[in-house]
Amino acid sequence: MAREIKLPQMGQTMEEGTIVTCLVKVGDKVKKGDVIFEIETDKATLEMESPGEGFVKKMLVAVGDTVPVNTPILIIGDENEAIADGGSPAAAAAAPAVAKAASTPAPSTEAAKPAAAAGSVAAPAGARVVRLPQLGQTMEEGTIVTSLIKVGDTVAKGQVIFEVETDKATLEMESPGAGVVKAILVEAGETLPVNAPIAVFADEGTDIGQDFIDALRGGAVAAAPAAATPTAEQAPKASTPVPTAAAAVKDGRIFASPRAKTTAADMGIDLRQVHPAAGAVRITAADVQRAAASGAAREPAGPAPRYNLGDIVPVNRLQKIVAERMLKSKQEIPCFYLNIRTDMTEVFKLRTKLNKGDGVKLSFNDFIIRAVAIALKHYPIMTGQLDGNVIQLADQIDIGLAISTDDGLVAPLIKDAGSKTVRQIAEYGKALIERARTNKLTLDDLEGGCITVSNLGGFGIDAFIPIVVPGQCSILGVGRIADMCMPIDGNIMVRKIMNLNLSVDHKVANGADAAQFLDYIKKLLENPSTFEE
Amino acid sequence: MAYSLDDRRKKPTPKIGDLIKKGVVTEAMALDWLRTIHEIRFFEDKVYDLLGQNIIKGASHLYAGQEAVATGAVAAIEMGDVIGSTHRGHGHCGAMGNKYATDAEARQMHWNRMMAELMGKETGYCSGRGGSMHIADVKIGNLGSTGIVGGNIPAAVGAALAEKHKKTGKIAVSFFGDGSTNTGSFHESMNMASVLKVPLVAVIENNLYGMSVPFCASPVEGAGCASNIEHIAERATAYGVPAMIVDGQDVVAVFLAVKEAAAHARKNNEMVMVEAKTYRWYGHSRSDPRVYRTKEEEKEWRSRDPIIVLSDKLLEEGLATREQLAVIAQQAQDAIEKATQFGLDSAWPDVADLARDVYVTETYADNVVEAEKTAAANAMKATAAFEAAVDTITAKTKKEKVELAKAQVKEAFGMDVIAIKDAIIAAQAEEMRKDPSVIIEGEDVGLYGGAYSATKGLLEEFGADRVIDTAISEAAIVGAAVGAAIRGLRPIAELMYVDFITISMDQLMHNGAFNRYMFGGHAKVPMVIRTEGGVGRCIAAHHSKSLEPWLVNVPGLYVVMPSTPYDAKGLLKAAIRSDNPVVYIEHKATYGQMGAVPTEEYIIPLGVADVKRTGKDVTIVTYSRQVMFALAAAKELADKHGIDVEVVDLRTIKPLDIKTVADSVRKTGRLVTIAESFNMCGMGPEIVRRLIEYVYEDGRTGFDYLDAPPVNMAAADVPPPMSEPLENASIPMTDTIVARIRQMV
Ligand SMILES: Cc1ncc(C[n+]2csc(CCOP(=O)(O)OP(=O)(O)O)c2C)c(N)n1
Ligand SMILES: [Mg+2]
Repeated sequence: MAREIKLPQMGQTMEEGTIVTCLVKVGDKVKKGDVIFEIETDKATLEMESPGEGFVKKMLVAVGDTVPVNTPILIIGDENEAIADGGSPAAAAAAPAVAKAASTPAPSTEAAKPAAAAGSVAAPAGARVVRLPQLGQTMEEGTIVTSLIKVGDTVAKGQVIFEVETDKATLEMESPGAGVVKAILVEAGETLPVNAPIAVFADEGTDIGQDFIDALRGGAVAAAPAAATPTAEQAPKASTPVPTAAAAVKDGRIFASPRAKTTAADMGIDLRQVHPAAGAVRITAADVQRAAASGAAREPAGPAPRYNLGDIVPVNRLQKIVAERMLKSKQEIPCFYLNIRTDMTEVFKLRTKLNKGDGVKLSFNDFIIRAVAIALKHYPIMTGQLDGNVIQLADQIDIGLAISTDDGLVAPLIKDAGSKTVRQIAEYGKALIERARTNKLTLDDLEGGCITVSNLGGFGIDAFIPIVVPGQCSILGVGRIADMCMPIDGNIMVRKIMNLNLSVDHKVANGADAAQFLDYIKKLLENPSTFEE
Repeated sequence: MAYSLDDRRKKPTPKIGDLIKKGVVTEAMALDWLRTIHEIRFFEDKVYDLLGQNIIKGASHLYAGQEAVATGAVAAIEMGDVIGSTHRGHGHCGAMGNKYATDAEARQMHWNRMMAELMGKETGYCSGRGGSMHIADVKIGNLGSTGIVGGNIPAAVGAALAEKHKKTGKIAVSFFGDGSTNTGSFHESMNMASVLKVPLVAVIENNLYGMSVPFCASPVEGAGCASNIEHIAERATAYGVPAMIVDGQDVVAVFLAVKEAAAHARKNNEMVMVEAKTYRWYGHSRSDPRVYRTKEEEKEWRSRDPIIVLSDKLLEEGLATREQLAVIAQQAQDAIEKATQFGLDSAWPDVADLARDVYVTETYADNVVEAEKTAAANAMKATAAFEAAVDTITAKTKKEKVELAKAQVKEAFGMDVIAIKDAIIAAQAEEMRKDPSVIIEGEDVGLYGGAYSATKGLLEEFGADRVIDTAISEAAIVGAAVGAAIRGLRPIAELMYVDFITISMDQLMHNGAFNRYMFGGHAKVPMVIRTEGGVGRCIAAHHSKSLEPWLVNVPGLYVVMPSTPYDAKGLLKAAIRSDNPVVYIEHKATYGQMGAVPTEEYIIPLGVADVKRTGKDVTIVTYSRQVMFALAAAKELADKHGIDVEVVDLRTIKPLDIKTVADSVRKTGRLVTIAESFNMCGMGPEIVRRLIEYVYEDGRTGFDYLDAPPVNMAAADVPPPMSEPLENASIPMTDTIVARIRQMV
């Protein structure tokens, strides 16, 4: 019976071998153990012995050939046996041996398949349900203010996907994982309990059945399908207690990572006001940064001291200028001060609406600057400067924006704010802040201006009295926006109220001018539809 | 010459007068022997006294009774010959110091320093680091005493090998007790010495007991015994070398026997065994009630006190008067009294110097470190290009593809692409060409080219004198490397599997790593132990472990574990040049791993990690093959999950470049360590500990920057199993790394 002789694996790492010498020819009789080839492997040149006895019927390789392990290289058979061309049928069927590449890691093991939860619709493989996170210790439900994603979007972990209004604030909700948006289960304005499903993500190309989505809407899906990856789906199983923000505070102790504590100390953030991501058991640095960005968690006692008592603190160039100018202002500008309360509820709604689209996100300050610019056109006296015997009015409305940088305070100008839309102001402002933070302001950015807008609302300030920048007529101090009960048409309504304080150079403007000017700003903000492009 | 046994006790010892006439000794020499014997005796009596007063603390193996052996043997060898000593080593050290003292003052200082060492004073021979059991003056060719019975025999073989290799014409004398002749070290060493034909004289001090156990039969009821033969010298037949038995109480007999043995060893490069029958006066140590020997036996031996034996000869032959002998004894006693006072007056070591001399201080210039970073990055790039080329080129065989891809890389980067195995061969060959003191020894390193082919071709180029096949004797392989290194060679010893290092551990730790420190910084041990470890070939628990945590636990060692051909070559060259003992561990599954290496010569500084991938979300710290798994995992995490991982390859795991780790974690806030060794007290936990304690320039610690609990991925706590799926499951793999990091972020 004819049989094939295959190239053996002559060493554990050998994958292929080169025929160096062939010591037999067709017709030769070989015994088991006779050396029939010399083979070069990855390690050495070795003698290959015949594994059996017979007559050489056919050579399947030539000297110099390099062939993989297990390739037939010779056929031996009985003395008079005839061999068909192409070797024995077995040769064609021989499965190539797979040499073990020890240095390559084993293929990934498949993730566990989803286990269907009895009595409910099981999550299809790959579906990741995004649920409303608890964005604060006391939050029980949240209102979807804006949805920033649509079906088909590819979302990265950490990307802001919803704005959610909680009992405390309106917060940005970051995506807990990556994926393609398969369904959005909520609409703006809807109020849902914490942990309610709000969206479904999956990998590109994965099909998520409508019945699953409908079931989710109807609440008939197991709270945490086993298939959901832990990163995107932290929702608890029904039997386990809900890991909530409270998990980070236990017996009065706040559980935060060392880095979170370091970050909080650096940023002056009160950890008691920071909440961990839904389901997390401790606060991380990212939570602190998020809290800082939302302005919600400034440590009430003020940031950790940058200096110790008794230190000598150097004064940088910027602070020297601020000192000089503020002193000059107090010496040369006799001020009077006005205060007004403004209802920002409408701006709030408009902003939410405008921020749904692409483009630069609009801040409240952008609306205020826009209002100030319009008001200045109506009350140009508020752009004036006393010059000897005359008052010189500005020929263009440039508005200063007070910005706090690492080096100190600067108030560069939003040029020609009078002819800019809110969005243009937002874009200009964003670039300006960027330039200020990276020390790229030019003299042109800083010289002149009719008025400065200074907003300390982010620091939780209700109202404050700013100092007029020399060369300008007034300065507007903006406080925080807070929910307040307001009597409206005989009902008590919760409205978003903001304080505006105006300090005015009495050398230029009198109380009546300034009061009308400020009231006009208030009216613009309370009826912001005029701002819509 | 083969085995022969010459029992010299059967013939009378020649008269000193005749020896003087023949010019073999001088009268002054004979008188000096007596003085040395007295000095050792007074020294030991004094030490016993001081131990009782608690002025000397610690060990107390006293040499009293055996003085003729050390005195005669040391007198018989040449200046420049080397000795190895034992836990009962005051006699050897005493006699060597006297031999090298050029005047009375030097001789006094020698005893001063011995006494100060026993007291643990800074002025001692080893600055109080070694004490009684590790006393040595390495500079004059004393390889030192040891606390491990039999522990110094392999080093003496290595020293003899070094003298032979350097062609100095010098020999080594290894002293050891009867008790040590049943250890593996003894057997491995005697066999190695005889097979490698090195000039060694093995002096067995058979004082009849190893602690309490008699070497052979004892009349005392209840006593066991250590051997079935009476004469240890008969064991020379097993090694095919000549042996002698000599009366160890007679300094003249010892002198003549060792002189002859030394001449034979020197001339023929053949080991000779000399068994000296002797007896110790004191118990094994201070606390020994000596129940195992009879008063009659003690009395009989005491009547043959080496002082009496020599004094009688001098008196009988009229070479000295009683008065002269009394003066000699008095001089010796005075010297020891002065030495005692010197020790008492000496200062203690400064505890601030606690860690002095654990290592030879080695630093690399900043520009060398910086330049290497660039070279490492280039090699990474070229390797990536090579891998991409192999994937895209079409050719009939893998070999052809590889050749074409190599050519492309050479063209584009000017670098060669080679396998780790070839990088290791090249590093050794380059260093051997440069430095004739570099030799290789180990099992199958010669004709076979090493079990993993990592010494292939070296025998052909450097010959059997420098590429030395040894018997399967792991303790002697490492011990001989230590001895050769102390005596000026730069040996590379190959251990086929790191698993076998368990058998060499005594030599590696107690001699290789500790000698420098114990000997007060007067020795250096520039050796490399090359070995390989890890799983990946389905060869189960005796051939697959990763034992580096054992090794980093040894002060005095460096441990290097490369992951790429570039690192393998540069690190091995640096290891060979290092003056510290380096264990260099390859990974058995990566010998064929290809990578780019510069064509010009380079080294990689030891103790400097390499950031093999930068990232911002998570820091992986790893080494050896796991670097490759980590890089594959990092790629997958970036491509599929948006997680940006930094991969730090430690390369050298001792000393550990914690700064690079800490700088990375400061950036990412998350630390994952990956090792193939066991986790308990392993590399991961150690890296975490060091990170947490790390202090940055702003005063904050690594702890302050952690944003998640660190994760240590390591081998499962099981003996590595054979079966492939089990083996794979027992260590971190790319998919488990990916999964773990996804959980973390
Ligand atoms: C490896 C080892 N085992 C045991 C001991 C404990 N120990 C110290 S000395 C000694 C006896 C050694 O006998 P021998 O070699 O005859 O030397 P001697 O003490 O008689 O000089 C023993 C058992 C040791 N130090 N090292
Ligand atoms: Mg003994």
